[in-house]
Amino acid sequence: MIKDHRLTRRSLLRGAGAAALASGFASVVGCAPSNSGSPQPLGTPSFTGPPAGEITIWNRSGDLYRVFDKAIASFTAKYPQVKVNHIAIDINATLPNTLITGADVPDGAFYDDALVPGIAPHLYDLSQLIEPYKNDIAPYKLGVATVEGRVVAIPWDLDPGLLFYREDILQAAGVDPAGITTYDALIEAAEKVKEVFPDSKPIHLEANEFLSQLWLDMFVSQQGAAMVDADGRLALDSPAYRNALNFLHEVNQRGLGTVAKYLEPTDVATLDNGTQVFVPWAQWFVFAPQQLLTETKGKWRATFLPAWRPGGARSGVMGGASFVIPAKARNPQLAWLLYEYLTFHPDGYRTVYGPNDVYPGGINTSVPSYLPALESDALFEPVAELGGQDLWEVATAAAREVPGGYRIPVWWGRAVDYLGVNLQRMFAGQLTPDEVIATSADQIQKNLIDRP
Amino acid sequence: MTLLTEPRAARKAEPARGGSTASRARRRRRPPLAPYLFVAPFLLIFLGFGLYPMAFALQLSFTNWRGAGVLEWVGFDNYIYLLTSEDFWGSLANSGVLWLLVIPGQVIVALAVAVALAKARLRNLFIAALVAPFVTPLVAMAQVWIVLFDRDFGAVNLGLRDLGLPPVGWLTDPALAKPTLALLVLWRTTGYAVILLLAGLQSIPGQVYEAARLDGAGAWTQFWRITLPLMMRTVSFYVVIGTLTVFQLFAEPYVVTDGGPFNSTRTAGLYLYDHITNSDLGLGSANSFLLVIMVFALSLAAVRILRSREDA
Repeated sequence: MIKDHRLTRRSLLRGAGAAALASGFASVVGCAPSNSGSPQPLGTPSFTGPPAGEITIWNRSGDLYRVFDKAIASFTAKYPQVKVNHIAIDINATLPNTLITGADVPDGAFYDDALVPGIAPHLYDLSQLIEPYKNDIAPYKLGVATVEGRVVAIPWDLDPGLLFYREDILQAAGVDPAGITTYDALIEAAEKVKEVFPDSKPIHLEANEFLSQLWLDMFVSQQGAAMVDADGRLALDSPAYRNALNFLHEVNQRGLGTVAKYLEPTDVATLDNGTQVFVPWAQWFVFAPQQLLTETKGKWRATFLPAWRPGGARSGVMGGASFVIPAKARNPQLAWLLYEYLTFHPDGYRTVYGPNDVYPGGINTSVPSYLPALESDALFEPVAELGGQDLWEVATAAAREVPGGYRIPVWWGRAVDYLGVNLQRMFAGQLTPDEVIATSADQIQKNLIDRP
Repeated sequence: MTLLTEPRAARKAEPARGGSTASRARRRRRPPLAPYLFVAPFLLIFLGFGLYPMAFALQLSFTNWRGAGVLEWVGFDNYIYLLTSEDFWGSLANSGVLWLLVIPGQVIVALAVAVALAKARLRNLFIAALVAPFVTPLVAMAQVWIVLFDRDFGAVNLGLRDLGLPPVGWLTDPALAKPTLALLVLWRTTGYAVILLLAGLQSIPGQVYEAARLDGAGAWTQFWRITLPLMMRTVSFYVVIGTLTVFQLFAEPYVVTDGGPFNSTRTAGLYLYDHITNSDLGLGSANSFLLVIMVFALSLAAVRILRSREDA
């Protein structure tokens, strides 16, 4: 009997099915990613001639991109044989997937500090390159750029917490902002304001779950603490979290707080109509009077955060970003050269922060984390929307106050589902501060730490 | 046609009819490659971008992997974790409630509108109006929803205030956030449902209605005895599509509520997204497969129920 070897539709489909199964099986048994899982060190660049080559750099879109574009132009003027492809992209959404797939990986990217630990295995270990600058970087920032003992990001900006307040209302209420040196004093000041302006709920309480956790951690970082200790163990049940939560709970219980989502309609309206008078927030709150508030533009001022104990640190940190160099970058040494220039070279950070076409007064929403830059002449001009206040002076002084010791665990973002949510439950009167700590600690331990 | 119907034995027994006949026979015996060549591009793309990723995801679901390093085999731990996780079931429950708020009512309303539109004079105008929400950028509409339903300064509450009613926490009260979100989904997708059902309606032959009228059937009887039974397949199709949409719902809760308040609008899609964005790829993959199984079961159940109605 002669076997018929003709290719029929059925046999083709069978073959295709078998091939598909085989490919699936191959992927199941043999195609494990080859990435080693721990950052590889990037050595000091050794260019034989003038640095030359092409790099692709990712940045956030919008004004920041335009500012960095100008700074990159000053870099390429210094290194004319380096071509920089500067790409505006939604980095937070795109970079993790790009790093995993390994396709079109940029040579460097601007990235949120809170998210850096999550991609650390995909990044170069920059410890050796950062070493000469180590003592000149704000301790807080060096801490968040360090994952498992390796520096995996080039620390860019520092976002010190400040106390923004309505100067006109404090004057009318007879409150001296210089006297608000502790959080107890802040509550007393809020009480005085409320006596004069009964409709006010003077202190901002953040309602966005993600931002409220970031905000809570600003108060905690101010106390030199973090969600995890030096050994990576959960440290929610700590005096630092208890202090911060007790303060926020008291503000809420005494009717001294406006619970609103940052810069959503309720927030903007209550910032503008005198309901909110005190906003303890990162320096980037200055964006609100500059861009969004209409009635109270020029009436806001900034000072240091109150301290948690007399003589304690007067600032913490909320947010911030750094530069990262992916392990699959084609030209990591040129990327380092660019970021070294932007971060540590006066021409670099002055071009970014200083007055430019995009920001005629300079970028005033953060300050550099490189300490010598803080000692230089003001990088941005006094802010008209803060009544001409010299925000540079206040922000740099606050930045120097920020303690080190803060760490960002890899699961920080997912902790929002527990700590951020429970903080909101506290504002809704469903939980006490102790319950927030106990419940969140249980949930985080079970779902984020002990989980397979 | 003849060749296809000709008995194979007869063809085999047929003697050779000279050179031209033999070459025709050889041509007939050649493998019919063309169809496979036509199918090949799709097949290759499907293998590379469909089946392979799916197999890889299945592999990942049994591992602990954060996008780098060696895959750590954890067996069924990811599945066990999810099936015993309050968060997982909570997200499914949120999606389930949204399904109840969206699909049954939407199908009824869409069917009624489709029946009305089938005889409307300005049908195309209405259809254009109904499609508009579906083609409007979702993120823009979600922002409008935030402004409309803001507790203190939203247009809806300002209207209520004018009526002497107290403000409502549309997006801040866990009991109301889901219905408010469901409203956005309804507003956005009902037009699509109407068009789909209208197409189904128009495929019913007019003679069926004519015969029914001759038999003395009124409008209600025609709807109940003809329209509804003959529309069941279209309705089933929409229920499956709608179920998939609701259980994959992501952009609406992401932009409008970010899963809040208190995770009350964290849908199955949003919960899955949380795993992926945090590079928790093993758990994310396990979550995907569980979701596929559950949505498939739910869709199948819905179709069975509707088919039994059709058969009846």
